[in-house]
Amino acid sequence: MSELPPIPRPEQRPLPPAGGPRKIVLPPHRQRAGRPFRVKAREWISRNLFPSLGGTILTLISAGFLGIMVVGILWFVFFDANWNVITANRWLLFAGSFPREEAWRLWTSIAVVMFLIGLAYGTWSSLGRRDTLFIVLTGAFVIFLMAHGGATIWSSIWFLVAIGLLYLGYYLTVWMPRETSPRRVWHQRIVGGLLALSLPLVLVILMVAGGANTRQFDGFVLNLILAPVGIVGGLVVAIPLALGRASNMRTIKWTCTAYIEVVRGAPLLGWLFVALFILDDVIGGDLIIRTMVVLAVFTGAYMAEYIRGGLQALPRGQYEAAQAVGLNQLQAMQLIVLPQALRISIPPIVGQAIAIWKDTTLVTIILTLRELKGNADSAIAQSEFIPDRIEAYVFVAVVFWVVAFMMSRISQRVERAQGIGER
Amino acid sequence: MTDELSPVDIIAESAGPKAAAAVQPATNGEGEVFSPRLAGSQDIIITENVDKWFGDFQALDDVSLRIKEHEIVVILGPSGSGKSTYIRCLNRLEEHDAGRIVIDGIELNEDVRAMAAIRSEVGMVFQQFNLFPHISVLSNITLGPQKVRHMPKLEAEALAMQLLERVGIPEQADKFPAQLSGGQQQRVAIARALAMQPKIMLFDEPTSALDPEMIKEVLDVMQELAESGMTMIVVTHEMGFAREVADRLVFFDEGALVEQGTPEHFFTNPREERTKLFLSQIL
Ligand SMILES: Nc1ncnc2c1ncn2[C@@H]1O[C@H](COP(=O)(O)OP(=O)(O)OP(=O)(O)O)[C@@H](O)[C@H]1O
Ligand SMILES: [Mg+2]
Repeated sequence: MSELPPIPRPEQRPLPPAGGPRKIVLPPHRQRAGRPFRVKAREWISRNLFPSLGGTILTLISAGFLGIMVVGILWFVFFDANWNVITANRWLLFAGSFPREEAWRLWTSIAVVMFLIGLAYGTWSSLGRRDTLFIVLTGAFVIFLMAHGGATIWSSIWFLVAIGLLYLGYYLTVWMPRETSPRRVWHQRIVGGLLALSLPLVLVILMVAGGANTRQFDGFVLNLILAPVGIVGGLVVAIPLALGRASNMRTIKWTCTAYIEVVRGAPLLGWLFVALFILDDVIGGDLIIRTMVVLAVFTGAYMAEYIRGGLQALPRGQYEAAQAVGLNQLQAMQLIVLPQALRISIPPIVGQAIAIWKDTTLVTIILTLRELKGNADSAIAQSEFIPDRIEAYVFVAVVFWVVAFMMSRISQRVERAQGIGER
Repeated sequence: MTDELSPVDIIAESAGPKAAAAVQPATNGEGEVFSPRLAGSQDIIITENVDKWFGDFQALDDVSLRIKEHEIVVILGPSGSGKSTYIRCLNRLEEHDAGRIVIDGIELNEDVRAMAAIRSEVGMVFQQFNLFPHISVLSNITLGPQKVRHMPKLEAEALAMQLLERVGIPEQADKFPAQLSGGQQQRVAIARALAMQPKIMLFDEPTSALDPEMIKEVLDVMQELAESGMTMIVVTHEMGFAREVADRLVFFDEGALVEQGTPEHFFTNPREERTKLFLSQIL
C-alpha cells in the first residue's frame, strides 16, 4: 500500500549506501518484538508441555495422536502410494491440454513473473533468511519430483533459471535508497506498472504467434492464470464498492449494497454457470474471459465487505484530523483512510485470496460442462426443456440467494446490536 | 482544603497581587469584556445566535461570541455542555443549523471553497492527538503544506523541522507516532496544525488524555504559542493555564453560553449560580 517510509531530516540526509545491509526503520506494527531472553530448552519444555498433571496428560494424548498420524502419512507416502500416477501424468496435471510443443511459453511466463516478483520484493520489502530457506526447499522438492519422474533436463534448467531470475530481480532493486525521493517514487511506479502489466504480458507470451488458444488453458496453469485475475480484479472492484457503500449519497450507497448482496447471495459455482450459459446467450465472447470477469466480480463483493470493515475500524478522529489539516475528501481517502483501512483488512483479504485460489478449481466443472453443452446444443436441441434451462438456473439461484441474504441480514443485525456498524 | 475558604477564595488568594491590582477590563461597547492588551485588535471570529441540533437534541443554544485577533479564550463547562461542538463548528467539522459564523471575514456556509479556506486558516488540536499512525512524524507535519499548499517537499520538510524545534522534539522526526510518548505526540499534533500557518488555533482538551507528568510540556508549548500572538480557543480543565494565559474565560452549560469574563472575574466573583457550582466542583 502507499506506505511512506521515514524521511531523514533535511540537513542530515544520508548518501545512498553503496550496498550491504541498511537499517530500515519499520513502523511499529511491523516491528517484531525482540526476544527478551533465551529460554533454555528444558525449561521451555517443562513450562509448556508438562506444566501440571492435566497438562502432561493432554500433551501425551496429543503426542500419541500426532505420532499415529505422522507414521500413517509417512507409511502411505513411501510404501502404499503409487506415485506413478503423478509422474506419468505430470504434464496433464500441470498444463492439461496445453500443447506440449509450446511448453517454452509456459516456462518463459513463469520466469518473467518470478523476475517481476523479485523486483517487487527488492523494491518494497526484503527477503529474509526464512524466505530464502523456503524458496530453496521448495525448489529442491520440485527438482526432486522432476528427477524422480524422469523429467527432461530442460525443465529442471528452466526451473533453476526462474529462481535465479527471482534473485536477480531482487538484487537489482534492493540496493536502491529507501527514503522517499522523486527517483524512488519513479522506481516504485515503474515496478508497479510492470507488475500490473504482467498478466497481459503472460497472456501474450502464451498466445501470440502460434501459441495456445484460451481453450487450451488447462490444468494447474489455468488456475495460475485465473487466480491472480480474480484477486487483483477483485481488489480493483472492491475498493470503489467499499467506499460507495460507506458513502453518504443514498443512490451510490444502495447501488453498491445491492451489488454486494446480490453477488454474495449465490455461490461461486452459480455465477460460473451464469458465465457459461446466460452470459453466453447475452454477450458471447470467450468463456475464459467471461470466467475472469465473474471471478473478479465475485471476489470484489467479498473483499469490498472486508475493506468496509477496515473503514469502520478506523477511528473517526482520523477523518477529522485529515479534514482539519485541510485535505479534501479525495486526498483524505487516498492518503489517510485507505492506506490504513486496507492494512486493517489485509488478513481477511488474504483469506479471500486463498479461497478464490482454491475455488478456481470449480472452473474445471464449467469447462467440462462446456463440452457437454456443445454436445447438448447440437444433439438434443429439440428437447422440450432446453429452452427452460435459464429458468431452472434462475430458480436455483434465487433459492440460494434468499438463504444467503438472510444470513447476511442476521450478521448485520448482530453487528448493529454490538454497535460496530455505526459510529 | 480547609473549611473556612471556598475553593474560589483559595484561587483568589493564590492569584495574589495580580487579583489585588485588578486591571480595569475594557469593553467593546456590546457588554463583552476583553483585556487591555487587545484594545486595537479586530474581531476575527464572530458567532451570532448559533444553534446546533443532533437529531432532536439541542447541543448549542443561541451562542453568540466575538473573539479578537491575538485573543486567548478558554472555554469551560461541564461534560456535555457543548464545548467541543462549539469549537468544531468553528472549523466546520460540525455544521451549525442556525445563526452565523464568520471567521476572518469568511462566512461558514455550504460553500466548499469557503470551507477549504477556513480549514487552512484554522488549526485544530484534538484530545486524542489523531496523528496519522502510518506515516512518520515528519510526514505528518509536511502532509498539509505539501498537499494543500503545494509547498515543495524540501521546503515543507525544513518548515516541519523548524516546528519540531519549536515544540522541542526535533530528534523524533523520523519516528512513527506510536513510538512517541503522549506528550510528544500532542506536541507533534500542535506542530502539524501550525504547519498550515493558521491564524487561529483550536484546542479541544489537549491535555486530558495525558499522564500528569506530560501535561506541563504541552501547556508550555501552548503558552509560548499564546505569547507569540496566536489567536487561540482552548477547551481545558487546566485552571492554572486558564488563569495565567487566558484573556477571557467563557462558561458553557447545556449548550448555552452562560457567563464570560476575565480570569479575575471568574475566580473572584462569578455571577451565575451554575458557574459557581461548576467552579467549586472542579477546583
Ligand atoms: N455526533 C453527535 N451525535 C449526537 N449527539 C452528539 C454528537 N456530538 C455530540 N453530541 C451531544 O452533544 C452534547 C454536547 O457534546 P460536546 O461533545 O460538545 O460536549 P463537551 O462539552 O465537549 O463535553 P466533554 O467535556 O465531555 O467533552 C452532548 O450531550 C453529546 O452527547
Ligand atoms: Mg468535548
